[in-house]
Amino acid sequence: MSGTSSLPGTFLLVGHPNVGKSVIFHRLTGAYVNVSNYPGTTVEVTRASARFDRESALLDTPGVLALPSRSDDERTTVRALLNEPTRALLQVGDAKNLRRTLTLTALLAELRIPLVLALNMHDEAAARGVTIDMAALADALGVPVEATVATDGQGVGTLAHHLSAARVPRRILQYDKAIDADIERVAEAISRHCPHPRLAARGLAILYLGGDDEVEAWLRHQAGAAYGEIEPLRRDALAQAGGDLPTLMARERTEAADVLATSVVSRSLKSSPLLSQRVGQAVVHPVWGLPILLAVLDLIYQFVGVFGATTLVGLLEEDLFEGVLNPAVTQFIEAVAPASWVTELLVGQYGLWTMGMTYALALILPIVTTFFLAFGVLEDSGYLPRLSVIANRLFALIGLNGRAVLPMVLGLGCVTMATLTTRILHSPRERLITTFLLALAIPCSAQLGVVLGMLGSLSFTAVLVWALAMVGILMLTGFLASRLIPGRRIPLVTELPPMRLPIFGNVLKKTAGRLKWYLVEVIPLFLVGTFLMFSLDKLGVLPAIIRAGEPLVSGWLGLPPEASAAFVMGFLRRDFGATGLFAMADRLSPIQAVVGMITITLFIPCFASLMMMVKEQGVKTAATMVALIVPFAFLVGGLFNIALRALW
Amino acid sequence: MNQDSPPSDHQALVPLAFIAPGTEVRLASLGKEIDPQQREQLTAYGLAENRPLTVLQQRPMTVILAEEVELALEHSVARHVWVRR
Repeated sequence: MSGTSSLPGTFLLVGHPNVGKSVIFHRLTGAYVNVSNYPGTTVEVTRASARFDRESALLDTPGVLALPSRSDDERTTVRALLNEPTRALLQVGDAKNLRRTLTLTALLAELRIPLVLALNMHDEAAARGVTIDMAALADALGVPVEATVATDGQGVGTLAHHLSAARVPRRILQYDKAIDADIERVAEAISRHCPHPRLAARGLAILYLGGDDEVEAWLRHQAGAAYGEIEPLRRDALAQAGGDLPTLMARERTEAADVLATSVVSRSLKSSPLLSQRVGQAVVHPVWGLPILLAVLDLIYQFVGVFGATTLVGLLEEDLFEGVLNPAVTQFIEAVAPASWVTELLVGQYGLWTMGMTYALALILPIVTTFFLAFGVLEDSGYLPRLSVIANRLFALIGLNGRAVLPMVLGLGCVTMATLTTRILHSPRERLITTFLLALAIPCSAQLGVVLGMLGSLSFTAVLVWALAMVGILMLTGFLASRLIPGRRIPLVTELPPMRLPIFGNVLKKTAGRLKWYLVEVIPLFLVGTFLMFSLDKLGVLPAIIRAGEPLVSGWLGLPPEASAAFVMGFLRRDFGATGLFAMADRLSPIQAVVGMITITLFIPCFASLMMMVKEQGVKTAATMVALIVPFAFLVGGLFNIALRALW
Repeated sequence: MNQDSPPSDHQALVPLAFIAPGTEVRLASLGKEIDPQQREQLTAYGLAENRPLTVLQQRPMTVILAEEVELALEHSVARHVWVRR
């Protein structure tokens, strides 16, 4: 390996969670990836060609808390290190916490790949009285070090220049003699049996001795039968270590980082905590935390539930679509359509325009847009990790910890996205429980909007009954799942990033990206769904389904027989089904409306979310969840029908 | 770092969960009752022996400031983090 980076290949962005890798990635490539103020926003690698060198690609990796890898995010990053034709690493670190950054550098330096270090959020470090001697640090590491403020682009231009001149860093520690001898023995075996084309055998040996599963799998695969010579070396090293070897090695890296950081960091005394620190502490305060949470929820409700679901939907659906567009489109189609069935297909009861597009654009779009705007502001403010502290005790009841609040709240926007985000949870058990609860009892914003629109127009009591039913079912099924699924709960330990004023441009970009994803998913499915309904209706199957479903829908749930059609729609997307019920709201009593909405909310969210469940949990688990959820939805709906008729 | 819990000089040491908000302490050790993976996580967050940390609050969770980074720990973890005043 040469000292400088000179060949085309990939630049890998690596670093701790929530240090601004994705913002730097965006600035260096022009490609936008979701950026938020909480750890774990990036769950998969993103690739784009570098603006400063179109021959090379830049890869954004998920944040690593530490290496050797332990979590899925960390494994993803190690896989990228092992498999990418890496030209240089761009390590992004938090300037406020140089010790932690250098602990990771201490390990990366052993891989002998050219590196550039960006110390980001330099402004926040300065505001806290932290000054770093960049020249001294660059000298000690032997690589370019740049202070950056990625959000306003400060220092990012210079990074591109540095990357073309990246150099292999100096080692910053010498492990304890005995440990070093073990490392060298394993490194020698790796060099002999399966040398890596880019990564130094010593670096791989350190990861392997530290218990890195990805490196172990790579060695097994590459060394083949010779792995039998490598493994005993690790066994011996672990047996001979005077303690837990991975911990001992991690401690040595931490201590070396500590020494180097102390030599280049100076601190000035601050007179009082910063405003952002005071706000951050107030929102998790034992007394003020809850009132602040209620105020935040009320603001979201006013923005999404009232402004989005009522005002904007009213303007779009009643005034624009029903008042202007639909009559005009109908008139036009009737004039030009060659046959009456074409007119019906496009603008009839189950018309692609009058049902599919009207549902997607007039009912769903305003609600989803307002939700994603609100969620984007929450994400960038740093409030969500603090919400996990407030919600921790509640989540403990269902075998989870407060970290699960992030996918749960995101699920209120889009369950498909949220299912992917369950990767931020630390154990398979937590991911399984959260995925199940998301599929069962968390309504996405589209559905939430339809529910609030329909039940809100009836009475506050109707909304309250539905909301309490959902929370009750969430807690009860979560409680049961946590007792039935083997494994133990992991207590919450989380970083609380600084509270920041959201940058409006970033919130808008993020909302636009999510809306695009959502609409690409929603519109085709709504059109397919509408076409299916039209075909079933024309073929006379829909009346047959309505008749067949009558005992269940009318007898057990107490709904009009035509509601069967809504449940058929619900199999495609539950918000589509809910919208079907919304469309027949004038024919439903308050009890029927509540029972219908409870039942449809408990359905599998949509086809896309089902696919995501399969991707994340496998076919067997996803199929088991569907087999549990659908009958459970009808069972609970019927029980509420009986209970509400007796009590209301 | 000594991972036995309580540590041998436990009389001088106090669990982090029992420290009053506003107090600055130094980390002594992470108890073996803490899950090994979570211990590694805490070390990665910068909780190493002799590092100073300030307790910001104890309810609903223990919140500390270590190296300009705020960390929230559940009491079940903070009870096994041994600190020296």
